[in-house]
Amino acid sequence: MKKRLVTLILSMAMVLSLAACGGGSQNKETQAPSGNAGETSQAAPAGTGETIKLTLWGAEEDQTYLSGRVEAFKQAYPDQTFDIQIGVESESTAKDTVLTDIEAAADIFSFADDQLADLVDAGALLALDDTMSQVLQAYAGKTIDDVKAANVAVSVDDATYNDTLYAFPTSADNGYFLYYDANVFTEDDVKTWDGLLAAAAEKGEGKKVGMTFASGWYNAGFFYGAGFTTGRNDDGTTTMDWNGTSPSGITGVQVTQAMLKIAADPSFMAVADGDLSNQINSGKLCAVVSGTWDADPAQKAFGDGYAATVLPTYTVGDQQVQTGSVGGAKLMGVNAHCENSGWAVLLADFLTNEESQTIHFEERQVGPSNINAQNSDAVKENVAINAVLQQSQFAVIQKAGGKYWDPAKTFGEKIAQGAIAGDDASVQAALDELVEGVTAPIN
Amino acid sequence: MDPFLKGDVTVNEKSNGLGTIIKTGIVSFFAAIGRFFGEFGHAVAKGDWAVKLSLIWMGAGYARRKQYMKALLMTILEAAIILFTVKISMQYVPKFLTLGTVQAEQVFNMETMKTEWNDFDNSFLILLFSLFSFVVWFAAFIVWARNIVNVYNLQLQAERGEHINTFREDMRRYIEDRFYVTMLSLPVLGIIVFTIIPILLLFFVAFTNYDQQHMPPNNLFTWVGFQNFINLFGGGGLTVTFGYAFVRVLGWTLVWAFFATLTNYFGGILLSMLLNSKKTVWPKFWRLLFVITIAVPQFVSLLLVRNFLSNGGIVNTICANIGLTGFLRDIGLISTSYIPFLSAPGWAHVMIIIINIWIGLPYQMLIATGVLMNLPGDQLESAKVDGANAFQTFRYITMPYLLFVTGPTLVTDFVKNINNFNVIYLLTQDVYTTTNQAMANSQAKEVDLLVTWLFTLTQDYYNYKMAAVIGIVVFLVCAAFTLVAFNFMIGGSKESDYQ
Repeated sequence: MKKRLVTLILSMAMVLSLAACGGGSQNKETQAPSGNAGETSQAAPAGTGETIKLTLWGAEEDQTYLSGRVEAFKQAYPDQTFDIQIGVESESTAKDTVLTDIEAAADIFSFADDQLADLVDAGALLALDDTMSQVLQAYAGKTIDDVKAANVAVSVDDATYNDTLYAFPTSADNGYFLYYDANVFTEDDVKTWDGLLAAAAEKGEGKKVGMTFASGWYNAGFFYGAGFTTGRNDDGTTTMDWNGTSPSGITGVQVTQAMLKIAADPSFMAVADGDLSNQINSGKLCAVVSGTWDADPAQKAFGDGYAATVLPTYTVGDQQVQTGSVGGAKLMGVNAHCENSGWAVLLADFLTNEESQTIHFEERQVGPSNINAQNSDAVKENVAINAVLQQSQFAVIQKAGGKYWDPAKTFGEKIAQGAIAGDDASVQAALDELVEGVTAPIN
Repeated sequence: MDPFLKGDVTVNEKSNGLGTIIKTGIVSFFAAIGRFFGEFGHAVAKGDWAVKLSLIWMGAGYARRKQYMKALLMTILEAAIILFTVKISMQYVPKFLTLGTVQAEQVFNMETMKTEWNDFDNSFLILLFSLFSFVVWFAAFIVWARNIVNVYNLQLQAERGEHINTFREDMRRYIEDRFYVTMLSLPVLGIIVFTIIPILLLFFVAFTNYDQQHMPPNNLFTWVGFQNFINLFGGGGLTVTFGYAFVRVLGWTLVWAFFATLTNYFGGILLSMLLNSKKTVWPKFWRLLFVITIAVPQFVSLLLVRNFLSNGGIVNTICANIGLTGFLRDIGLISTSYIPFLSAPGWAHVMIIIINIWIGLPYQMLIATGVLMNLPGDQLESAKVDGANAFQTFRYITMPYLLFVTGPTLVTDFVKNINNFNVIYLLTQDVYTTTNQAMANSQAKEVDLLVTWLFTLTQDYYNYKMAAVIGIVVFLVCAAFTLVAFNFMIGGSKESDYQ
């Protein structure tokens, strides 16, 4: 009798402890806010001389730049005492960290534009509305409209959600374009995918043209170029029309066929997402579709032939279609739960103004979103940034909900591996399946 | 245990062992509850005024018997619980049924340059602190009821004229005959805070709509009853192809757990027998080599292996250079310009199990070595006398003994492998891209276990409610398996074979 009871208790206890370990990840996640029970912000009246505490998160590579600019900010407002802490948080993962516990996140943080919608939905971003415009007017002598006018339209659109600005654009170089080796290709070769691949086969000495297909960020460029769209609904679901016909009369099937043709070309190499830098470094490529972050490896790999330009056109029937791209900006936002929100907005504005963006470019070769900073000669001479700015005329802002990414990634991988049969009916079926997954409701 | 009963149980064992365990467990459980309330009622009814006063002032009974220190401690405990209830619980527990109604709102104060918030409700904190309060209250109730029984016992002792312990004497008992209470109190507290409350929380979240659209502090979430379970099993599922993905993920989870457990188990035993063999030279050196893999952190070795075996990794470069890739393509095993070790279904499944052998085998080897050293020597000798060969000795003596001793770890290993997040996630993240659109539409991959899928669904999509539901399902699968397996492995009379 007793032994059985012990067995029962033992096995229950074991399962419990195992389940606790197994569920550890989300327990940690959900428990995190508990530490903050007493921290609900209570506004204390600010007397003169009160220390204004702010926390700031930026990318690891930006730490030196940020601390320099923060000092400049302090000097710009000598009447106030500041206590500004700078922390490290990658722009690509800011959303996950912030949403884990909004109230514990930094007052000001940098993030990539594709995170804006989720951050706003969760109420993590302070709206830069008329009130904040008054704050800027009072302390910095400009309005939110001035901020919008000072930056390129695409970056302002990126930072806007439901007609309200939610963040300050810091850079407008978050896009992709074509790096190539000018010793292999002529300027005419790189105008079309056909020419590019043919020249690579002919003169590339076994080197290939690389691009990431297995990513909804890269492969969408072909569809955006043909006039297709994606969109994001208020409930976080995605809209997509790729299985139909675009306004310019091109069908999704035709675009997919063109992609399949490129992928099947022996001179083309489909590179896994995140593996581009490795492949460039390995020296197997003579041309590659990537962004400014690969400028250094590309320069090393191509040597004196290092060049960059807009993406080539692809062939649909007898017409050439410009490959589009996703234009993106890096943004700097203010936490909605920030206590000293007025000063946080002023700091965020300061860190993204013309002077800061110019210095950011000089120190780290980050492509500015500020129009004046963009027009400097130094920016125009930078091969990669010049290319991304040229490509931005064909770039769209990618609006997509959470259910877009996995299906789009798999769709690209299927094209890269040639896992879709070449006939139009199969392609249409694959597109229908993709759209079904992307546009699925969220439970 | 009387012999008749034992025989009876052994008979049942073969037919419906699990049923008996559960039935016995339930009966004992309710009997214990009955006894608890019986003693309490009896104490209240028969107790004197001090015992009855203890219902309100928990120190009264001790004070009456001149145990002033205990009376003081009980009073402090009672005061602490009341203070906790008034100060903390009352802020949250009254909102437990709605999980909060006041939405967060903010205004900006131009004077102070600060944002001012209203006194808004945070559903998550309400849920968390309510659960915490319930646990505290439950514990307080048990202490309160046992307290009555204790002071009643003191009353009986006093009436019989027995010696009543001083505080010092009572304390001494906690380091002497009741030492186990002292030892267990900290772990039990730890389990309650770090295991029971999170599990309760997980359980309750499964009945709310806590997801990206309802995320505190800015939004509230609330109870939705069984809606999430209906969504999971009935109403179309979590995603369009949920049923499709769920079956495949569950299938691979079980296949993986089966092979990962068995390969490690038998591999470890064979390896340790090999190392234990008298013909092996330098056994300690070989053993050390295997143990070194334990010393290297698992995530380091797994990420390294992942990079070695990736499509553009070093192994692929070598294979291409020696012509293996070309050969495999010629015979039609692969259609790509690389060997998709970790990036195609089939290949990845086999590779993951093989890599896991390398990761997990040393542990099993150490366990098996220990057990083999304790193999009953007389049995081996008599087997030798009877003329058994090596295989027969292994088959009829070593293996049954190992199975008996390490059976429970076999079960835990299986359950652990069902939840083996590290190996799968670290080996396939960023490397494996499914080409099955139906799987991708459900955010799943062919190599996902239930836990890694759960992780994607929650981490990338903040879908806490469905994560909780799947968590409960995984828990039930593991619990059922463990009960059955334990019953089969160590239940009944097998134990006596080795005693």
